[in-house]
Amino acid sequence: MNETLKLGLILFIITAISASVLAVSNNITAPKIAEADKLADQKAKTEILPQGEDFRPLDEERVNEIKKEYPNVLEIFEAYKGENLVGYTIKNVVKGYGGDIEIMTGISTEGKITGIKVLNHSETPGLGENATKSYFSDSFRDKPVDEELVSAKEPKGDNEVQALTSATTTTNAVLDGVNSAREIYNSKLAD
Amino acid sequence: MKLSKIFYNGFIKENPIFVQLIGMCSVLAVTTSAINGLAMGLAVTGVLVGSNLVISLLRKVIPEKIRIPAFVVVIATFVTIVEMFMKAYTQDLYNALGIFIPLIVVNCIILARAEAFASKNGVLASIVDGLGMGLGYTLALLILGSLREILGAGSIFGKQLFSPSFEPALIFIMPPGAFILLGILIAIFNTIRKKKATTESN
Amino acid sequence: MSIFTILISTIFVNNFVLARFLGICPFLGVSNKTETATGMSIAVTFVVTLSSIITYGIQKGLLEPFGLEYLQTIVFILVIAALVQFVEMVMKKTSPTLYSALGVYLPLITTNCVVLGVAILNIQEGYNLVQTIFNAVGASIGFGLALVLISGVREELEFNDVPEALEGFPIALITAGLMSIAFLGFNGLV
Repeated sequence: MNETLKLGLILFIITAISASVLAVSNNITAPKIAEADKLADQKAKTEILPQGEDFRPLDEERVNEIKKEYPNVLEIFEAYKGENLVGYTIKNVVKGYGGDIEIMTGISTEGKITGIKVLNHSETPGLGENATKSYFSDSFRDKPVDEELVSAKEPKGDNEVQALTSATTTTNAVLDGVNSAREIYNSKLAD
Repeated sequence: MKLSKIFYNGFIKENPIFVQLIGMCSVLAVTTSAINGLAMGLAVTGVLVGSNLVISLLRKVIPEKIRIPAFVVVIATFVTIVEMFMKAYTQDLYNALGIFIPLIVVNCIILARAEAFASKNGVLASIVDGLGMGLGYTLALLILGSLREILGAGSIFGKQLFSPSFEPALIFIMPPGAFILLGILIAIFNTIRKKKATTESN
Repeated sequence: MSIFTILISTIFVNNFVLARFLGICPFLGVSNKTETATGMSIAVTFVVTLSSIITYGIQKGLLEPFGLEYLQTIVFILVIAALVQFVEMVMKKTSPTLYSALGVYLPLITTNCVVLGVAILNIQEGYNLVQTIFNAVGASIGFGLALVLISGVREELEFNDVPEALEGFPIALITAGLMSIAFLGFNGLV
C-alpha cells in the first residue's frame, strides 16, 4: 500500500475514534451544561429580584422597540409570583474601565430597585472588580426608581449608592447601566 | 526505574515550572487566586495522565512519521472532555479559567511528556509520570496562586486573613505581579538547588 | 466594536503577552536577540492572520451548521498544525530567502498559544470576518511589540552584573513584570 495513504488512514482512524469519544461525552454533558446554565441564570435573577418565582422573557416586539431607544439593552424578563407580575429584570451592557460590563438590574412593580448584579466584566482586579462584591451591589437595594442614582463615599441620601474606592470609572459605568434600566422601567414598563 | 523515583522526578527534581520552565502561559494567567491555581493544576494533571495513558498504549501502533499530529489529537480529545465536564459541574471555575482550558492543548508540558516519556515507556510508568509532572505543575500553581492572593487581596481560598484596615498590594493580582513573583520564586528555587548540589558533591 | 478600538485594545491595553499571558514560551525563549525576535514576530503575524481566517470559515461554515461546536479545539489545533506545515512547504519551494530567515521559527509556532488563543477568542467575542482579521493582526503586532521590546532590554542585560540567583529566566521574568507595569498605563484607553 502507498505509504502516504497508509499514514493518512491511521491518522484518520485516530481522529475518527476521538470524534466519536467526544460525541459520546458531549451527549452525556450537554444536558447537564444546559441545566447548569439555566440554574445559574435563574439564581442570578432570583438574587436580584427575590420576590420573583417564574421569569419569562418580555414580548419580543416590545423588547425590539425598547432596543431602538436604548441600544445597549441585552434582554428583559418579566418576573411572576403565581400569576401576578411582580417586577422586571433588565440586562444591559456599558463601557467600563477595562472593557464592556454586563449588568442585570431587578426592579419591582412597586417602583423599587430590588438588586443589581455585575455579570461579565474585565475590570481591574482588586479595584473595579469590587463592583461584583456585595457591599457595592447591596447599596443599590431598595432605591426608588424615580430619582437619578449617584454615588457617594458614605451614602446617606435616598438616591446615593456606595462609590468604589479608586474606581470612579467603574462606579459610573455601573451607575449608567442601572440608571438607564431605571429610565426604561419608568418610560416603557411601568403602567 | 522505580515508580516512586519517576514520581519524584516529575514532582520536584524536574518540576515543569521551576526547573523546566515550560507551560508558563497558564501559570501566569490563572494564578490570581489559590483556588484558580489549584483547579487549573488539577485540570492539567487530568489531561496529562489521560494522554500519557493512551499514548503509551498506542506507542507501538502509531507510526513514527505521524506521531506528533496523532499525539495532538489524543491531547485535544482529553482537553475537550475535561472542558465539557468542568462546564457541566463546576461552572464558576470554568468561567474563572476561561480560555486557558482549551489552551491546555498547546501547553508544551503535555506534548513534551508524550514525546519524551509516554511514547517510550510502559503504561503504568507513564501514568505515574503524568501524575508526578501534573502534581508538580499543580504545586507550582498553588504556591504562586496562594502568594498572589495573600499579597494582592489579603485572603487565601477566599477567606480574609487580615483586618479590614490592611491594604493589600494590588499589583500582585494584576499581570505585573505574576511575572515578578514567578521570577523571584524561580530564583529562590535555583538557589536552593545549587546549594543542595554543592553540599552533595562535597 | 470598531476596528480601531480592536487594534488599540489588542496591541496596547490587552497586550497578548503582557496582560493576557498568551505566548509566554516564545516570549522568553527567543527574546535573547532583537534579530530573532523580529523574525519570530513576522512569522507569527503571518500564521495568526491566516489561521484566524481559516478557523473562522470552518467555525461558521462547518461546525456551527452541523452542531459540532464541541469539536472546536481539536479541529482548530489540527488546522493550525496543518497550516504551519503547509506554509513551511510553500515557503521552501517559492522563496528560499524567506524560508532561511523564518523557517526555523515555523515549527515552534504550532505550540504558540497566541495562534490557538486568537482563533478561539475571535469566536468567543462574536467577531465578524473583518473584526477577526483586525483582531488577529492586532494580536500579532502586540505580541511582536512585546517580544522586540524585551529582546532589546535583554541584549543590554548581558553586559550587566545580574545577581547570580537571578541570572537567566528570573531576571527576564522580572523585566517582563516591569514592562507590564508600563503597559498598565494604557488601561482605560478603550
